[in-house]
Amino acid sequence: MSASPAASPAPTARLEAVGLTRSFGGVTALSDATVRFHPGKVNAVIGPNGSGKTTLFNCITGMIKPDAGRVTYRGHDITGQAPHRIARAGIGRSFQLCRVFPRMTVLDNLLVAVCPRGLEAQLASSRGRDDIDRARGWLARMGIDHLETTEARNLSWGQQKLLELAGVLMADPETILLDEPAGGVNPALIGRIGTLVRELNAEGKTFVIVEHNMDMVMTICDHIVVFDRGRPIAEGPPAVIRSDPSVLEAYLGA
Amino acid sequence: MPSGSEPRRSAPALRPILRLAAIAVGAALILSFPAIAGNPYMVTVGIGILNYAVLATAWNFVGGFTGYISLGHGALSGLGAYATALLVTVAGLPSFAALLVAAALVAALAIPIGAAALRVRGASFVIVSIALVLILVLVFQSWESLTGGSRGLVVPRPFPALHRAEHHRVFFFLFAGLLALALAAWWLIDRSRFGLGLKAIREDEDKSEALGIPTFTYKLVVFVVSAALTALGGGLYALWFGDLDPVFQFSVLNGSTVVLMALLGGVRHLFGPMLGALVVGAGLEYAKLEYGDTPLHLVATGLVLGVVVMVMPDGVIPALSSLVRRLFGPREASIREVTAAELLEGRRRAPPPPPEPAPPRDDAAEVSR
Amino acid sequence: MVSGALVFQSLVLGVLLGGLYALLAAGLTLYFGVMRVVMIAHSAFLILAAYLAWYFHRETGLDPLLSLPITVPLFFACGVAIQRLLLARLRPATRTMMSVLLTFSIALVIEGALGTVFTGTQRRLQLPYSGASLELFGARVAVVKLAAFAMAAAAMLALYLVMTRTRFGHALRATIQHPEAAQLVGIQTARVAGYGFGLGLATAAIGGTALALDSTIYPSLHWRWIGPLMAIIVVGGLGSVVGTAIAAMVLGMAMSLLQIPLGTTWAQTVFYLALFATLAVRPQGFFGGRLAKRF
Repeated sequence: MSASPAASPAPTARLEAVGLTRSFGGVTALSDATVRFHPGKVNAVIGPNGSGKTTLFNCITGMIKPDAGRVTYRGHDITGQAPHRIARAGIGRSFQLCRVFPRMTVLDNLLVAVCPRGLEAQLASSRGRDDIDRARGWLARMGIDHLETTEARNLSWGQQKLLELAGVLMADPETILLDEPAGGVNPALIGRIGTLVRELNAEGKTFVIVEHNMDMVMTICDHIVVFDRGRPIAEGPPAVIRSDPSVLEAYLGA
Repeated sequence: MPSGSEPRRSAPALRPILRLAAIAVGAALILSFPAIAGNPYMVTVGIGILNYAVLATAWNFVGGFTGYISLGHGALSGLGAYATALLVTVAGLPSFAALLVAAALVAALAIPIGAAALRVRGASFVIVSIALVLILVLVFQSWESLTGGSRGLVVPRPFPALHRAEHHRVFFFLFAGLLALALAAWWLIDRSRFGLGLKAIREDEDKSEALGIPTFTYKLVVFVVSAALTALGGGLYALWFGDLDPVFQFSVLNGSTVVLMALLGGVRHLFGPMLGALVVGAGLEYAKLEYGDTPLHLVATGLVLGVVVMVMPDGVIPALSSLVRRLFGPREASIREVTAAELLEGRRRAPPPPPEPAPPRDDAAEVSR
Repeated sequence: MVSGALVFQSLVLGVLLGGLYALLAAGLTLYFGVMRVVMIAHSAFLILAAYLAWYFHRETGLDPLLSLPITVPLFFACGVAIQRLLLARLRPATRTMMSVLLTFSIALVIEGALGTVFTGTQRRLQLPYSGASLELFGARVAVVKLAAFAMAAAAMLALYLVMTRTRFGHALRATIQHPEAAQLVGIQTARVAGYGFGLGLATAAIGGTALALDSTIYPSLHWRWIGPLMAIIVVGGLGSVVGTAIAAMVLGMAMSLLQIPLGTTWAQTVFYLALFATLAVRPQGFFGGRLAKRF
């Protein structure tokens, strides 16, 4: 599952949702939504609150089962599979309300993401040299390596966001779903996260980002999908979306 | 702000040696206890405590690693006891073969039980665990033909030639050996990737699943290991004590006393449950001597459990060690004082990025958060 | 062959039993809905109330129902105290698990106290109408069972009215459904949670007194009840009083009918079987509707 950083973007890391429908009680979160993300690119999903973006993520990653429709990845149907299977298939994901393991140290937070296979690997020490070096590498890249022994609950919000991102990357996914990475974060850090996303994209990772911060979206994304009321209403590169009247209408509700 | 998990200032190379020395001393003390004890009664008290220590450590595989509090482990030890007893009396197996087969049977049974119970979390899991014990009391009390019902089931001693004192001595060492096995298994899992995954489940189960941890399988495996060790404890008790009674064997109270021991000692530590067993076990023995078998010991158990839950839910060890650190440790200011040098060093390692030029705000303004 | 009259008799008894169970379990599901707390001490409080009713009758000679004006407010205050002083102080992250241990310890203290004060001797209320029975559509029904059912029905009705017609009831339901949203509309959820707990224990006071009318009581009796009651609230749907009531009726009738072929002891297993079946098939319960939580 490890993609070497020097490889060209995998053209087969194709993530698609076809005809997804999901309701919660009386509320329809996704309504026959079909999205085909561009592999090897930075994709964005934008839209007003309640338009189904996080539900889309939840359906893709297996946290909830759609009432109808399919999710396929690399040509395989992954609809409704257990989240850990989907994670091991190469799709990583961060959460809207940043989730880290609060009473574990920063280093341990990353070491958890090592996906051991086989009995021997499971019983091996969690503090193997290779794993620790790799974890430290990611921490250094995020700029939080000096916090290695701090418990995650003692980090600031911004530091936790970076930690969560580092953890997702530690699992070495091909495709990364980020749910509001800029949420509640100061502008300098937003810039840093944006730069990081573009760097990782250049190294071969596909991104799908749910975001409200339009500056960030327009700056770093190659392909934008606009959601409204449970389905996409427009998609295209930033320049096209920026001037699309239906998008403005969805946001302004005119 | 960094927490107490910072590396200590003391010489790091010394700590593993000190720890090994402490373990060696502890083991020596335990093994020499029957010789020191003086009379067989004290040895039986020691066996009782070792039995509790085994059960508490075995419980702690589930409680300590995954955070799932099971009040139903009494069911598993009871099943181990009765399975061992019935395999000896009905199937005619030699005692220790019966013990091992019984443990294997309970472990096998733990697979469907765990599969059902672990599908739910939190409160529902506790409810299921309690229900398990309660239904087993019901079944074993009613099924008189098999289990002797309320009259009890007598288990023949494995070493009929030994007289009482020797019998207790031998079993003391057997229990000590079982405890060592349980501790070794716990230690192995604690340091492993499997164990780290379990601890992640304890912190945030959905998040760990999103990171690729097969949470259900992990929980089930550790539950089966816990069940096997618990059953061994129950079975060994049956061989030692010789007489089984369903109300005592399948007792929510007993199961919860074991939980209290693990909590008191500290569920995140290898020796926590063992220490808890020592403290609570000794306390129970003392209370029995002082107050006889009155309901007051229920009041005492309840109060201690309540205090532990409210005041030191992490157990005595962390509470004590933070107390010790506060009294004897290096003086730490309440606000971590960062020297100018440290600040500079921190800045040099993670320089703040240059601020982005502020883009026109109009199209971003109407986007509601 | 089993006679139709016997089946009918069992059905009638099952209804009466179910009604009583509904009251006994209602408080339990309320605690869960309000605070995600499994209040294991609830059945211990039931037995405590039963002892108080017996003691009241023994000391004053009056009908135990007359003790309710004392015990109901007392238990209400106790419930508020437990919630505000103990449960609210638990760390939110581990509250559900720790509350189990905490309420379990309360149950132990109650059982120990009852054993110390009243000793382990089994007690039974001897009332003038204890042995009487009525003809009800051809079935013989003990008066005490009818009285217990009447108390349970009245209490459930009162509970229903409080929860649906009073402002407090609305606040309570809002807090159960969505504490954050309730706070946002100005509901003092902390205070409401306390009163919700008090309400739960108040039902225990009534339920325990009803229980005393027709049961032999002893300090460890609560263990016999906590299993079936927990099964009822899971089958009904944790947090939903209506769901609990329906589940109680269904399981009460099932148990009563199963007593014919299986006898009392084995008939009790129906609760546990229903519990395991619910958790396997539909963990959020069968009758709770949207109010029912999963855990």
